[in-house]
Amino acid sequence: MKKLSILLLILMVMTAVFAGGAKEEAAAGKSISLWTYPIGGWGDEAQVKALTDAFTAETGIKVEVQYLTYSDGDDKVNTAIAAKQAPDLIMEGPERLVAGWGASGYMVDMSDLLDAEDRAELNPATLSACLTADGKFYEYPLVMTAHCMAINLDAFKAAGADKYLDLKNRTWTTDNFIKAVDALYKYYKVPVGAVYCSGQGGDQGTRVLVNSLYGGTFTNAEHTKYTWDSPENIKALKQLYAMPGIVYDPAINGGEEINLFRNGTFKMAFCWNIAQQLTGDRTDAGEEIVFMSFPAQNGVAQLNGGIWGFGIFDNGNADKIAWAKQFVKFMCDGPKTADAVKTAQYFAVRDKADGKDISKIWADNKIMNDYNVLMKFLGDYYQVTKGWPTARTCWWNMLQSVGAGNDVTASVAKFAADANAAAAAAK
Amino acid sequence: MAQNSPTAITRRLRRKETISSYLFLLPSLVFFLGFVVFPMVLCLFTSFFDSNLNATTPDRFIGFQNYTELWKDPVFLKGLKNTLIIVVVSVPVVTAFSLWIASAIYKMKEWMLSAFRCIFYLPVVTGSVAVTVVWKWMYNNYYGVLNYVFKGLGIIETNINWLGNPSTALWCIIVILLTTSVGQPIVLYVSALSNVDPTLIEAGQVDGTTKLQNFWKIKWPQIMPTTLYIVVITTINSFQCFALIQLLTSGGPNNATQTVMYYIYYTAFKLYRFGYGNAMGIILALFIAALSAVQFYAAKER
Repeated sequence: MKKLSILLLILMVMTAVFAGGAKEEAAAGKSISLWTYPIGGWGDEAQVKALTDAFTAETGIKVEVQYLTYSDGDDKVNTAIAAKQAPDLIMEGPERLVAGWGASGYMVDMSDLLDAEDRAELNPATLSACLTADGKFYEYPLVMTAHCMAINLDAFKAAGADKYLDLKNRTWTTDNFIKAVDALYKYYKVPVGAVYCSGQGGDQGTRVLVNSLYGGTFTNAEHTKYTWDSPENIKALKQLYAMPGIVYDPAINGGEEINLFRNGTFKMAFCWNIAQQLTGDRTDAGEEIVFMSFPAQNGVAQLNGGIWGFGIFDNGNADKIAWAKQFVKFMCDGPKTADAVKTAQYFAVRDKADGKDISKIWADNKIMNDYNVLMKFLGDYYQVTKGWPTARTCWWNMLQSVGAGNDVTASVAKFAADANAAAAAAK
Repeated sequence: MAQNSPTAITRRLRRKETISSYLFLLPSLVFFLGFVVFPMVLCLFTSFFDSNLNATTPDRFIGFQNYTELWKDPVFLKGLKNTLIIVVVSVPVVTAFSLWIASAIYKMKEWMLSAFRCIFYLPVVTGSVAVTVVWKWMYNNYYGVLNYVFKGLGIIETNINWLGNPSTALWCIIVILLTTSVGQPIVLYVSALSNVDPTLIEAGQVDGTTKLQNFWKIKWPQIMPTTLYIVVITTINSFQCFALIQLLTSGGPNNATQTVMYYIYYTAFKLYRFGYGNAMGIILALFIAALSAVQFYAAKER
């Protein structure tokens, strides 16, 4: 009898273990899962809960949110995909949703959510980045911004380098950038900026810095080939390496560069955008932080854009896909779009949502209004080029190689060739 | 009558006990098969395929192509070299250092012994992320305490980018690995040394042995099983060095800290080449198995 009881107990425990997941699922009712990268306030549980609660109140569909980080978010998503446990919804940019998981066949085509009115309202460049060449709509965009750089204005003034800045237009020429760095280095006698390259974190900053100095590009206009082995880019890499005020640092990434900028170690940061500016426009010591466009020969750089929105994973459950589409429409073109945009702390990709004007949602925010001066410099959204994950890795490895003093032309040629091989191999 | 004979009863009892034993083993067996054996078989199977994350292109059987590609891949070879350096340096250092510390503390009073065990074991039970964050701060090029101290002592003139310099980065990783690896061996050696038969040592002393002879001729053979365990475990841990690389250097600069384990992760989860990553995993497993076998054989001979 005792043994029978033990056997029953074991069976009960095992049944509970294996059936637990199924019970949980059944008890949940109408629910969808959302995984979000830290896109402004979309990485903050309290702010996101307010939005998802509003959606639940409207539709009766619960939203279970998981918060990803950029350091291991991709790994989590890819592991989930491999284990057929992908979330129903994900929030990120076209490089992942369209060129990554979309091109790999894991996303739902949301073309049915896109009517003529939406096409007219959405920013054309943004819409184009969210569509594949054959017209599949894998990301419904919500917000966008232009990535930029920042300077410590008080430090510039102290070193007499502020005369090289066009503070009205937030631009500077390549020559003036070189002069400013030189002045800062002479004043502080330590490097004042870093070409960070420990990994891909914040690499949009180093890409635009190198591209803009002498008019180079990262890819061709058709997004079929990586072009960072061009003479313009090689010249820029050599120029940065030759500047004592700039250090190639393979021990830090973009986030760490920002910390070093905020604590006063660096006097400029190449990894910056409006979200950083809104987080704090003063250094730890209270010095003024000013956002700037990247330096270019004529002063007009082509800034790299950031686009964020929602994608739906095709998990084979038609109900969940339908509920996820309801969520997407609710957030991107519905009653809560203005709140969803403000939570992200970026600019809306459309002027009207659900018939309401949302073009002035930032009217009361001076920093956001000032930042508009950079939006006109928004350049090509090339992150949808094939082989993108490999190309990103090749980029920071190339920077490490250049920073180690290896031949610049040979380093660039090798890693650009690897990136292009990945682009050619991508199906 | 035959059913109630003593032999039949014994047989029934034995069968019942056997069934009970297997039932108790069942949960562990399910997990072992599910989380160890099955992934191993799947890893071997996938290593013969061009397997990626793309749902639109099915995995393609390519035979031993992944394995042949490995030996032409300079990053893998660099990773293998670095992994072997880590193993060759850390295994003897961890073993010798642990034995030295254990020899020095095992005869101490109980409270002192416990205090030392606690101190040396602390990095083992501390989360690797916390340990790494502290070391990253210490190694920091701009405000790290290491540069501050070395400059203060006049050992260096300008800051060294410890983790950003290809010639120092790997050694920085090894130093951290050592601090997190010595805790368990020290505890094991303390226990093993305490269990050495004191009468043998006394007999040796009566026969006029020196301290060194006491150690090599009496203690060392008796702690050999512990040494073998420590060497094998440290070897496996060193081969599997991953978290430190992932959190500190991502294999850089210029692959100076690339290890096979990190490259497996990178290939599978950054480049989505699962077949190639699995082939590397198989090669790594073979290396570990071969080295462990050599260590077992050497210890047996001794």
